[in-house]
Amino acid sequence: MTSDERTVDRRSFLKAAGGAAVTAAAAGCTSDGGDGDDRSATDTYTVSSVGGPFLQTVEAEGTDTLVYARGDHPQNYDPQQTTSGEVAKVTNQVFDQLIQFDPGSGGQLADGLATEYSLEGSTASLTLRDGVTFHDGSELTAADVRASIRRFTDSDYDFYLGDENRSGYGPFTFGNWVASVDDSQDGEVTIELQQQYAPFLRNLAMFAAAILSADQVQGQGANPDDQAALGTQPAGTGAFQLEEIDNSNQRVRLTANDDYWGDGPQMEELVFKTIGENATRAQDVIDGASHITDNLDSQSSQQLQNTDSAELLRKNGINVGYMAMNMDRYEPFRDRRVRRAVSFAVDTEAIVDSIYEGFATQASQPLPPDVLGHNEELEPYETDKEEAQSLLEDADQTGLEFELATFSNPRGYNPSPIQTAEQVKSDLEELDAVDAVNINQFSTFTSYLEYTAQGRHDACFLGWYTDNADPDNFLYVLLDPKVDLDAVPDGQDWVSFDTEGYSTLNVSGWANTDYMETVREAQATLDQDEREEMYTEANRLAHDEAPWVFVDYAETLRGVNEAVQ
Amino acid sequence: MVSRRFVVERLLLLVPVLFGVGTMVFGILHLAPGDPARIVAGQRASEEQIGQVRRALGLNEPLPVQYVDFLVDAARFDFGDSYQIAKGQPVRGVLVDRLPVTVELALYGQLMGVLFGIPAGLLAAVKQDSVTDHVTRVGALTGLSVPIYWSGPMLILLFSTFLGVLPTSGRIDAGTFLPDTWTLFGVRLPLTGMVTVDTLLLGNVDAFVSAAEHLLLPAAVIGIYSMALVSRMMRSSMLEVVRQDYMRTARAKGQGAKITVMKHGFRNALIPVVTVIGIQFGTLLGGAVLTETVFGIGGMGRLIVDAIGASDYPVVQGAVLTFALLFTLVNLVVDVTYSYLDPRIEQ
Repeated sequence: MTSDERTVDRRSFLKAAGGAAVTAAAAGCTSDGGDGDDRSATDTYTVSSVGGPFLQTVEAEGTDTLVYARGDHPQNYDPQQTTSGEVAKVTNQVFDQLIQFDPGSGGQLADGLATEYSLEGSTASLTLRDGVTFHDGSELTAADVRASIRRFTDSDYDFYLGDENRSGYGPFTFGNWVASVDDSQDGEVTIELQQQYAPFLRNLAMFAAAILSADQVQGQGANPDDQAALGTQPAGTGAFQLEEIDNSNQRVRLTANDDYWGDGPQMEELVFKTIGENATRAQDVIDGASHITDNLDSQSSQQLQNTDSAELLRKNGINVGYMAMNMDRYEPFRDRRVRRAVSFAVDTEAIVDSIYEGFATQASQPLPPDVLGHNEELEPYETDKEEAQSLLEDADQTGLEFELATFSNPRGYNPSPIQTAEQVKSDLEELDAVDAVNINQFSTFTSYLEYTAQGRHDACFLGWYTDNADPDNFLYVLLDPKVDLDAVPDGQDWVSFDTEGYSTLNVSGWANTDYMETVREAQATLDQDEREEMYTEANRLAHDEAPWVFVDYAETLRGVNEAVQ
Repeated sequence: MVSRRFVVERLLLLVPVLFGVGTMVFGILHLAPGDPARIVAGQRASEEQIGQVRRALGLNEPLPVQYVDFLVDAARFDFGDSYQIAKGQPVRGVLVDRLPVTVELALYGQLMGVLFGIPAGLLAAVKQDSVTDHVTRVGALTGLSVPIYWSGPMLILLFSTFLGVLPTSGRIDAGTFLPDTWTLFGVRLPLTGMVTVDTLLLGNVDAFVSAAEHLLLPAAVIGIYSMALVSRMMRSSMLEVVRQDYMRTARAKGQGAKITVMKHGFRNALIPVVTVIGIQFGTLLGGAVLTETVFGIGGMGRLIVDAIGASDYPVVQGAVLTFALLFTLVNLVVDVTYSYLDPRIEQ
């Protein structure tokens, strides 16, 4: 192969790289690498899977080995055992899903292991691609699909992964929705859902919905410990197959799967190496020792911008960063005028431009652009202290004093949490009615999540990277309390965190019944135009009722060496 | 000679030390905020699922029960399976992978410290108040004062970015993978995990050069501190020794200055230096946490940082106890060396 042949069209790479949304949280060398940690690695335990495999389309000049530098080195590469973006980067190359996200399309679906698929009522029907083989040599059949889903969700299955091993994606992707999987027809899979659930096909494209080989699953042994070991020898149908997990040197080596059913791979070898510190990782790409990296903070992004030997690729990410006001705990927030006043007082433009250094855009609603139902008519709240003042006077509020909880280490949607909290504090304390905003800073993200899940905060910062680029994944997941509509008292738009069925992913306690009805109906509506209309309305409601201060939509950033062209 | 009883007594002391360390690390981990079940299940999991994970991991058991289980298993050096870092895999295997990485780094750092620190200290003492002495002292003070998280990136900037002569991170070139075993007289033997040694055992010169290049900067960063401390201690110890009567006597009986210093002075001056080197080894292991992070090396230091962040209790407990064991064993070696250098100490 000549070097000319090895080059890839930059446009297609940009498309692919941008489409594969990654966790862009960045942390310094002392970040608490684990809770997600935020790990130096960053958003390690929060994943954004939209994008799927794309590295098979990438080529680097002058070498047969593509080197991808990442911030962390997990040792288990089972897509059903992880919520880590660092793992998903690898498993997305090794495994395929029935349906895949088309790289660069902003979450559009494309054929994967299924060539035809449909969702009618509560039945999903899929036709499997012919002639696909797993890396272990077995041929893809409907039984593999059934075994994959059962291993992830069915505790009665002999080869169930176990509560202690499976990730939260088990119920989230399949378990809460799937009633049964029929594999009796050759090459056909029929999945019966418990209810009509529009986002289901998108769930099938999530990284965690990877299809495993039934032979391998059953060969592992019938207990959770044996199943957990699959993560050290994953064998999917993807463009690359696992060659070696080199834990001593924190590397993973994949080689080209010559029998891959799709286009590519273009490179003979793909190596994931690990460099926890962002600046060092960026430098490694600049030096050409690595070809691609991600999880960049503003400092390392600038490093890449200031060099000729590498490039910083930027694309809108499918995420949102917000400050939630907890109506259950802090009584004044139950008055929408107070919430709107806070939204008018916080200068999100300054946060995005100055603190996030322009690597994000101001948010206007829960749903980021490019996702179905994003309401184009809504604008971010303009900073207007007078309007804020007047709203607080109308609400007869004085002497406001509340806690603002924040985490410490950067995350993609909030690369400078402490500075952001200080900006909000300063903006709000300028208002006559606000006596004090007390920042409560958490050192680890896990303890922070525990605190907010218990509803112990007055206000807090959080954010969300999409799982499946479906509006339901933002609007229902984050702002519907999941309680019965009857559980919301008349004339009230909030509920207690103690209400039966309450989902603690909704950290504002907001329970607006109009909103709840809208997103629930949209979740069960299969017609895309109707869904779009409902979500557009739901976004308007959220914008006007302001349970959150909508802060930002962060960009997805990647550093790419000049050899990748 | 060092008596066997002395060594056995010292080895027995390991038990209460490790018990204390184990109890402390268990206590701190379980008192610190952060629920491992929440990390294992992930942000998407419901409270009910988190509860299921907690039960499956045994984290809902009363703390004393968990503590006793931990002690019983730890006594067999079995820390169970990792919760998150190497999910489902035995911690022992994780430690086997990572320990040689840190030991290699610390050894090379120590080697640099000793090779440069001792001659520098000796020279400074012999030429007290000369320019050499002043330069050494200022250098040592600087070496002690510069934090690793600063010196590391500075060396990367200088040698990787500006001069482009050394790699930024890692232990070996990204495209070079070594086999698991090597062959000696037809017998397949496992490799050591220390990449500079393994490449030599395999006879792979290119890989050895790559490994040495990768090791140079991190070892230097760790070594600078060690070098500074050793040279200061060597200097002051030597200054004390050269003033002793027996030194004057040796010179008076006509022995040359160099021989006197090396034969009578050096060995005696070495006693406190050996102590420092031993204790220093613990500091080197601590320094590995930062060095490994800056240079993207996946040793024990980085493992502990990651495991603490992930509330991966078994890995933290295993790694800390391994560090403690290593530290106490090194101290034992120091004590033994000490008593060899000065037999009175054993008494």
